[in-house]
Amino acid sequence: MSRARLSAENLPTSVRVVLVVLGLGVLLAVPDLARVTPLSFATIHKGLLFGLAAVGLNLLLRHTELVSFGHVAFFGTGAYGAAVLATYYEVSSGLVLLAGAVLAATAVALVVGYLVAGHLDIYFALLTLAFNQVLFAFVVQSSFFNSTDGLSVRVGVDRPSLLGLDQLLVSAGLDPVQAYNYVLYYLTVAILVVVVLVTWKLVNSPFGRALDAIGQDRTRARFIGIPVERYVWIAFTISGIYGGIAGGLFALLQLHVRPEPVLFAFVSGEILFMAILGGVGTLVGPIVGGVILVYLLDLARFYVTYYHALTGIVLLAVVYFLPEGILGSLPALGAAIERRRRDPGLVRNDVETVVTSVRRSVRRAVTTVRILVFGVN
Amino acid sequence: MLEARNLRKTFGELRATDDVSLQFGTTDGEMVFIVGPNGAGKTTLVNLLTGLLTPDQGSVVVHQDDGDGSTVEREITGLAPEKRVDAGLVRSFQIVHVFEEMTVRENLRVAVLSERGETLNVLSFDDGHDGVERTVDDLLAQFRLEDVADEVADTLPHGDRKLLDVAMSFGLEPTYLLLDEPTAGVATREKEYVIETIAEASDADDVTTVTIEHDMDIVKSYADRLVVLHEGRVFREGDPSLLETDGELRRVLLGVDE
Amino acid sequence: MFESLPYHALNGVYYGFILFMIAAGLTIVFGVLGVLNLAHGELYAFGAFVAFSIVGYLTGLVAEPTGPVTALIFGAVVLVGSLAAAAVLLPVGATLEAAFVRPIYDRDDVYQLLLTYALLLILTDVMKFVWGAKPLDVGVYDGLNAIPTTELFGIDYPTYNVVVVAVGLVVFGWLVWFFDRTKTGRIVRATAIDREMATAIGVSTDRIFTLVFAMGAFFAGFGGAMVSIGPGSAYLEMGLSPLVLSFVVIVIGGLGSLRGALVGALLVGVTTQVVTPYYSELELAVPFVLMVVVLLVRPEGLYGTWGEIE
Repeated sequence: MSRARLSAENLPTSVRVVLVVLGLGVLLAVPDLARVTPLSFATIHKGLLFGLAAVGLNLLLRHTELVSFGHVAFFGTGAYGAAVLATYYEVSSGLVLLAGAVLAATAVALVVGYLVAGHLDIYFALLTLAFNQVLFAFVVQSSFFNSTDGLSVRVGVDRPSLLGLDQLLVSAGLDPVQAYNYVLYYLTVAILVVVVLVTWKLVNSPFGRALDAIGQDRTRARFIGIPVERYVWIAFTISGIYGGIAGGLFALLQLHVRPEPVLFAFVSGEILFMAILGGVGTLVGPIVGGVILVYLLDLARFYVTYYHALTGIVLLAVVYFLPEGILGSLPALGAAIERRRRDPGLVRNDVETVVTSVRRSVRRAVTTVRILVFGVN
Repeated sequence: MLEARNLRKTFGELRATDDVSLQFGTTDGEMVFIVGPNGAGKTTLVNLLTGLLTPDQGSVVVHQDDGDGSTVEREITGLAPEKRVDAGLVRSFQIVHVFEEMTVRENLRVAVLSERGETLNVLSFDDGHDGVERTVDDLLAQFRLEDVADEVADTLPHGDRKLLDVAMSFGLEPTYLLLDEPTAGVATREKEYVIETIAEASDADDVTTVTIEHDMDIVKSYADRLVVLHEGRVFREGDPSLLETDGELRRVLLGVDE
Repeated sequence: MFESLPYHALNGVYYGFILFMIAAGLTIVFGVLGVLNLAHGELYAFGAFVAFSIVGYLTGLVAEPTGPVTALIFGAVVLVGSLAAAAVLLPVGATLEAAFVRPIYDRDDVYQLLLTYALLLILTDVMKFVWGAKPLDVGVYDGLNAIPTTELFGIDYPTYNVVVVAVGLVVFGWLVWFFDRTKTGRIVRATAIDREMATAIGVSTDRIFTLVFAMGAFFAGFGGAMVSIGPGSAYLEMGLSPLVLSFVVIVIGGLGSLRGALVGALLVGVTTQVVTPYYSELELAVPFVLMVVVLLVRPEGLYGTWGEIE
């Protein structure tokens, strides 16, 4: 695996500051934007949570270069951790529920991480997938987790309390449901910012560099004295904790946890693709990828009959035309647009390039079929 | 002193290492060269010493200074490679193993960070350790890599990649450095340069080097001691002048004895 | 309690052969192209839908079986229809490889995964477009079972299952013959071992890759057709769980190994079917537990050679 060096890091500091401020501004304004536009607030919130899990997955993907295909296991464990506390122990404090989520995910990540840390490539991917499915099977068959019907995250009919902030808004005249969702959203944003900062610190520390070393050449890493398996285990657990936080928040958002959306292995694949879609080489790309993919998968169905195909085509476009992911390709894209603004003639070349590459694809396909059917070219 | 005691390793029918006992570093900064025809078990021996392979029989022992002048024996036979690094045992590979997507400086930095036991540190920045940066600068100078310090490793010419590989090993402050064909694949005119740089560094830091080498001219000019392996066994051990005087040895090395 | 054990074991064998047909395609594509094809399950579903159309059309031409002879004719028509359905997958697979997969062999594994996932999504909607969103059953299961093979086994066992096992055995035999005895098969294997060397001696790797991908699609489609003519029906999501189970099978058997795929498929099939009636709560977990155990004990799989130190 060789990956081009970070393109986003080549941006001048001033541009990066502007981008960060802009990003934060958009994040904070989402509830208001959703009110004046047809954007769905709940879907964006959900996308951010999956994006958070994808940030964790990207820690493994980008640095240790390990592809986890079972990351929703930790998301699900987190969600169920919160749900179990609410259902069986009548815990109503949102923060305690979240702590339970993190604890549960940490425990599972520690066990799984220990068992997979020595494996590589496709074996690592498929082992994580297997553990994911074992967990799914376990929950689906277990009456404690109420099988496919899942568990409620409410105590009685009440929503969990969010530090009393939601009550504060209610007494200020806001609708209780809306108040809860707003507070939860801003809690999510706050946690997201903290997690991104922590990750940034982590990947730029000596430990982060050691993880890079492991990803780029395991043998060499071992022979410069890095205990490879132990470090992979630690990174795996950290990345699982991110998933647990996201899952806990997801439980608070949905107020009901079912196995399919939070534990099925295919959702793990989606988390992986969120990271790639947004840009593996970037810190916040996975969050962007999370929002976009969740939006496509959840909402496009209301506008387009063939929303799967639509999502597929978007992903194809990323594979072929944005090899660094959406955020990772921004600098190159920005430069390209700038060039075209100065020289509009270039656009015609672009169209030609796309047309030729499509035509070449079609010609390849036709030739292949002809050989297949008639036996000759 | 690093010692191999009756090491034995078989792969199926093949006795790759057969009852090998050797001592390295009997004098400070000794340069030992291991030579032998293909399949003589040179790389296997290095793999056994550094922990990539575990022997079927025998042991690997280091004699360490216990601080008050006397030495203690420490057996490291079952120790993982990364633990052997702590015992001062470092190696390079026949094929260059560097961190391809890092710059030369970053490669050296991560090695030095590891040597200082800083790799679990998450509170500092990787380039925020002044002591480490100084050591990295010294290594860059010592291995004449300053000009390419900020180049990404996989874009370097082969000779520089070899030097980077060896420089990383020196960054780990080894007592014993095992080099598997450091000049393999290096252009002839650069070979001398690579081995000379290694010799200088080894001399400066009193590092015992054990080098597998095929180029007999290099062996003759640089070896303090020669070890000849043949069919997994120690065939000769002694002064490099054996290469001139021992007819049977010459036949083995030229591969005309069968 | 255990007197029905042989019956469950037989069911496991049948189920195992279905799994084998899907997993065989997946494993040869991975072994030669190095691409883990997530759209493989959709090719299987595609085969099931095409079989619905073709077998449905063909059986419409012959009468419903009334006696052993007409039943045999009926069975032959169904089999021919299934083969024709699988054959449709050849150009489909070849087109997918040539148009979409070929440009990205040099890219990171994760991009190959993303691409095949995109293909999975698109294929799902293509099937939805052509056949609609409702499950479809061609309804030839009873007709097939009119062929009297029950006496053969001494226990009451559907002819359909026997047919599937036989077809699975033929597929395995053919694959082994193809890779061991034919020139093309050997070239494919050589290409899998060393791509550059194969190119150097004048093999067109493009052609080989297309061929292998088309073959993979064919066997996935054949597996789908076999399910489609059985008691089950063709439906849009049917590819998901066999895809995931095929991962399990090829990992247990050893990636890229045909024999491994067969043994793995039978192992998964039989264990699942034998355990489920007694401990139904284990049904979903059994294959994965099996896989975890195999991987932790023998990381290269039962027949794999992967994982050697350089």
